[in-house]
Amino acid sequence: MNTFLFRKVTPFVTLLGFGLTACQPDLEKDFEASRGTADFTRYIAVGNSLTAGYSDDGLYLEGQQNSYPSILAKQFRTAGGGEFNQPLFTEAQSNGSGYLRLTGFSATGSPITARVAGNAGRVAGAPGSAPYTKFDGRVDNLGVPGIRLADIHTANFGNLGGQTGAPTAATFNPFFERITPLGNSQSYFQRVKAEAATATFFSNWLGNNDVLGYATTGGVGGVITRTDTFTLKNNRIINALTANGAKGIVATIPDVTNVPFFTTVRVADIRARFKAGNAALDVYIQTTGTAGAQVVRLATDNDLLTLPSSAVIGTTTTGNPFPVGAGLNATQSNPVPNQFVLDATEQTSVRNATTAFNTAIVNKANEKGLAVFDANSFFSRVAASGFVTNGVNNTAGFISGNLFSLDGVHPTPRGYAVVANEMIRAINIQYGASVPLINPNDYRGVKFPQ
Amino acid sequence: MTLKSLLLVGGALLTGTAASAGGYQVTLAGQKNNGMGGVGVGLSLDQAAMFYNPGALAMVKDRGVQVGVNLTMARNAFVAQGGSQQRELRNTVTTPFNLYAGFGPAEGKFRAGIAVYTPFGSKLQYAEGWEGRTALTDIDLKSIFVQPTVSYAITDQISVGAGLVVLAYGAVNLQRDVPLPDSYGHIELDGKADTKLGFNAGIFFKPSDKVSLGVNYRSKIDAHVKDGDVTFTGIPASFGTRFEATKFSATLPLIATTSIGVGLMPTEKLTIGIDANFAQWSKYQSLRFDFDQQINGQTFSESKRNYKDALTVRVGGQYKLTDGLTVRAGGAYDETPVRDGYVTPETPDNDRFSGTLGASYSFGKFGVDVSAQYVSIQKRTETQQQLVNNGTTDRIAGTYKTNIVIPGIGLNYAF
Repeated sequence: MNTFLFRKVTPFVTLLGFGLTACQPDLEKDFEASRGTADFTRYIAVGNSLTAGYSDDGLYLEGQQNSYPSILAKQFRTAGGGEFNQPLFTEAQSNGSGYLRLTGFSATGSPITARVAGNAGRVAGAPGSAPYTKFDGRVDNLGVPGIRLADIHTANFGNLGGQTGAPTAATFNPFFERITPLGNSQSYFQRVKAEAATATFFSNWLGNNDVLGYATTGGVGGVITRTDTFTLKNNRIINALTANGAKGIVATIPDVTNVPFFTTVRVADIRARFKAGNAALDVYIQTTGTAGAQVVRLATDNDLLTLPSSAVIGTTTTGNPFPVGAGLNATQSNPVPNQFVLDATEQTSVRNATTAFNTAIVNKANEKGLAVFDANSFFSRVAASGFVTNGVNNTAGFISGNLFSLDGVHPTPRGYAVVANEMIRAINIQYGASVPLINPNDYRGVKFPQ
Repeated sequence: MTLKSLLLVGGALLTGTAASAGGYQVTLAGQKNNGMGGVGVGLSLDQAAMFYNPGALAMVKDRGVQVGVNLTMARNAFVAQGGSQQRELRNTVTTPFNLYAGFGPAEGKFRAGIAVYTPFGSKLQYAEGWEGRTALTDIDLKSIFVQPTVSYAITDQISVGAGLVVLAYGAVNLQRDVPLPDSYGHIELDGKADTKLGFNAGIFFKPSDKVSLGVNYRSKIDAHVKDGDVTFTGIPASFGTRFEATKFSATLPLIATTSIGVGLMPTEKLTIGIDANFAQWSKYQSLRFDFDQQINGQTFSESKRNYKDALTVRVGGQYKLTDGLTVRAGGAYDETPVRDGYVTPETPDNDRFSGTLGASYSFGKFGVDVSAQYVSIQKRTETQQQLVNNGTTDRIAGTYKTNIVIPGIGLNYAF
């Protein structure tokens, strides 16, 4: 090769080198995180079990680590957010209150679950139950499983020593007790107000339990909170959270009749099961009649059976020739007990309350200019048509749907991740922020036995 | 490599001749053409006319052999919708090659030859754990086409030619992660394509020393993979019964391309080519895999493609600086066949612009050709809402951007 050729080719090769280094495209600058008009310096989360990360009918370490507030805080950190402390169970007490796990499937394909014993109790000899070992560090996730909005002003709500008579769910909450200094009589509201004094951003998702307790007990246990009480207390807590100018997001209450707790055990399936054995049989239920009396009647496809009913239906009862749920007519039957049935009237009560509560939540949020995650319409859409996350199908189905945990009400880590993403979308719109979404597929659905 | 062709083509499994046919910007069939924006249909430059327009072969003055090899380096960035983390490919380099041998009487009207080229030696490996992992993690396409060709000059001004296109070797390897409730498994599809035939025909017309015209048609080939291997890994025993398939089959339309080209030779030293390629991508409507046994209760999978026909326009020129040295430059605009909301990770496609440079040095009967292409695939964003609306949620919403650099070198010897 002569030098002439070399001279001619060299610039060409140099150009090629430039081309290569310039080749890798860079999109990151197009998608930089920003906080908009929000300030995530100190984020606090107010709410119930959903906010605490409750899953599989228990509060345990893995659930806490995948709570939507912890996911939000992690994403806020890319946009100026600060430290976020959750009252995590220690590794040694990672089973927390105990929880359900999937152990397998029956021959007919029904899931079999077993309870993992809790290990966070602080009373020697009762590690599996409350009272739990106190958490005395800073708490930014104030989610308290079981709390109703109706309970927020209850004094001594986290003070065992302040109870007069036996504690009930309405007077005392063991999860609030866990994060309340010993002997402190403060209400949940007082605690929130104290934390809100230094918060710059908050999420508030209270109110689910004001209707859930009624629904999950088939209208037998628990009462639906009065709308005026709900509205008043919701206004008060939002006022307290925004008193120092903090911005935030609130979430509406999903219609609980869309969750697997009410959609997995279906009258039509039970009827088919009975008729396969004896065509004369049908499904009978016990329910509350017009005058408040217990009545037994033929079940219709509009009656919702709860998830726990699956453990009862079909079992035998001493002295009754029919298995539970089966019968020939109203008098010759072994009806499904009332607490496992949410009939049409009860469903209407649940829906009306949900609608009224959500109106109160949205009105107050609009008044304060807060972001709103409409969990009700979101989960209705999920129930109707599923929800695809980065190419992976998810539904509101039990176990197979990925989003709901083994209790049929609370989300899986995947479900909480989806909730966090939807909240981020609402926050980004309301405050002109660009908080990045996470990939929900990095979070598991129901854990299967290995 | 054809990153685009790769995928475009088949989503590619083997996509074949069509993409290589110069309907796409990353066309690497001739080293001289590579430096001129990929033009060639209206020119009679060298033996690579067998690919670009067999009709022009009879007008190629020299007989000879030539080989070329290219290094294709694709660089891609992806950010999922709403995310901020940029994903980049595990970069690989592929080396598509071409080989031509042309024979015929020195002064005769006949020319015959054989062409071997590799339109798809492509490879894309996405980042570990990227958001679209359940759509695709890796794709690797290999193909070799062999094309015996004859050309005949009917008059001094007009010649015709045709080649029998043989899909002599085709291999596909597609991999993706399988979403399980609490983990990911992995599926690998690996197969070889059946040998298939098509044709490549053209007419070349040179009314004067200063102007030439060409028309070329490359036929559609349905590439078929049968009895490809399906391999699952990382599937826990509790899910084992859901993933039973061991064999798959798939068919991919390697669509037809029609091209016209014009050559202008204003002086003896300067040659300019202008080509337009019309690729009938609308034949590629879906990608379907059939399995011998069920996967999650299904014995097939089908994914929408819904491509549309696309046009490519190319311009290029060469200038003979000295007796030995010729320099080249060119560019192309390539319209994407992928509609909004149908972009898949195998073909993160959009309209593309490319610029090329090239040079040749001749030492008598020997010559060396070098070329370089820079292809910029425009940024492409698709939203989850588009995917939901189109029923294409088997892929991922986000923004893709790809650039490709392709240096190449060729040697030729004239008899």
